[in-house]
Amino acid sequence: MSKDFNVPPVIFPTGGNPNTAPQRRLPTAPFQPPRSSNPSIPFMSFDIGSSPASTSFSTPQFTNISGTGSTNFDDEPPLLEELGINTKQIWHKTLSILNPFRVKPDLHEQADLSGPFLFLMAFGLFQLLAGKLHFGIILGWVTVASLFLYVVFNMLAGRNGNLDLYRCLSLIGYCMLPIVMLSAFALFVPQGGIVVFVLMGVFVMWSTRVCTGLLVELASYGDEHRGLVAYACFLIYMLFSLLVVF
Amino acid sequence: MYDPLGNPPGGARPPSNTPQTPFGNPFYGASSGLIKGGLGAYGEKILGSSSEYVQSNISRYFSDPQYYFQVNDHYVRNKLKVVLFPFLHRGHWTRITEPVGGRLSYKPPIYDINAPDLYIPLMAFGTYVVLAGFSLGLQGKFTPEALNWLFMKGIVGWFLQVSLLKMSLFSLGGAEAPLLDIVAYAGYAFTGLCLAVFGRIILSYSYYFLMPWTCLCMGIFLVKTMKRVLFSEVRSFDSSRHHYLLLFIALAQFPLFIWLGNITLNWLF
Repeated sequence: MSKDFNVPPVIFPTGGNPNTAPQRRLPTAPFQPPRSSNPSIPFMSFDIGSSPASTSFSTPQFTNISGTGSTNFDDEPPLLEELGINTKQIWHKTLSILNPFRVKPDLHEQADLSGPFLFLMAFGLFQLLAGKLHFGIILGWVTVASLFLYVVFNMLAGRNGNLDLYRCLSLIGYCMLPIVMLSAFALFVPQGGIVVFVLMGVFVMWSTRVCTGLLVELASYGDEHRGLVAYACFLIYMLFSLLVVF
Repeated sequence: MYDPLGNPPGGARPPSNTPQTPFGNPFYGASSGLIKGGLGAYGEKILGSSSEYVQSNISRYFSDPQYYFQVNDHYVRNKLKVVLFPFLHRGHWTRITEPVGGRLSYKPPIYDINAPDLYIPLMAFGTYVVLAGFSLGLQGKFTPEALNWLFMKGIVGWFLQVSLLKMSLFSLGGAEAPLLDIVAYAGYAFTGLCLAVFGRIILSYSYYFLMPWTCLCMGIFLVKTMKRVLFSEVRSFDSSRHHYLLLFIALAQFPLFIWLGNITLNWLF
């Protein structure tokens, strides 16, 4: 038996149709935000596709967001540029890490932390897929590992060591990419087997080689202590691979 | 409820608000200026005296850490050979001095194999922590918090070794050896420990041979080094007391190594 549902007809109120109101703006399509001439309502447009060219990217202008009532909406930079996340540069840097035999230091001249943040989140997510909640551990260990490398490199390089902590953290984070790949592969490989240890060896050596190459190229006076710096990097990446394997 | 060390009786649960991690000894600033500048400013606030006074005191206790990192590959390789096989060292054990600005100071480690450095102890400590984590993992008991506890255990062991050497210097009346020198000599123990732990990972029975061997080697190394330190720092030369103290230092290595080399989750054993 069927019930009759007495559904009253839906009546839209006239005069309140949002698409015709001249005062409100809604984004019609993700990449074509309508630009109204009325600047009094602060509405950020999510303009993801238009990040500027990587070669000319300089420090982002931190415009005063609270004062958008007075500035023109068209003058505001896109959100990612304002945050300093240069996606093209992150992508190029990531690709340069993938080749362990040729080190391109000019891409890493400008340190940024958003790439490392992405890699560390991915690392934490892969560990989570393996059943281990390691986000806090990863954060803490990365901080202390970069402090360690900063101290060791600057002491070894002498009075002229010009590695700063931000760049050190950025380099360690970028060279974490092989370890992230290790944690991804370790999900599919039997735990405790010989394959995992072989993979661990390969990826740790990859990370070490890239990190040492970048450190020596980017900070001055690192070249005569290449082996010594390499051992410090090796220890750091070995530590993170312990998290993956065990 | 808590045992005298202040830890919960479980032993393997770290306090949740302190990020104890395997690396990062914040004691060593990036340059000696950091220590002098930072502590000088802080000292001025507390003592109310001029910062030069505090800085001169600081430099009396913490000699310039930059000196201990003037190393190169050649030095590291040869120093490792000296630490691990001290009876093969054919040369003398005294440090070479050079006159600098009217005072006699020691040559940096690049030029002198007998000079202490801080790179090898730091790396050996890191290697010990990583190898201990490895050995725990192979036993199936690895957790990151356990690694943090092992790091603290290593720090305590290093501190005990430093206090042993410092106490023996104090008891003979000579307290002028720089603190970082003693820290460096104490840290060389971790190289032998790393070897023993590595041997245990490869073949578990080799541990019972490698451990006494490295204890003995570290004992010999410390005896020979401290003999020179005592000779240069202590004013009165009382031969029998010196020798008993050196023997005690060598024998005290055994319980220290056994405690540090036994990689388990417990604090004591």
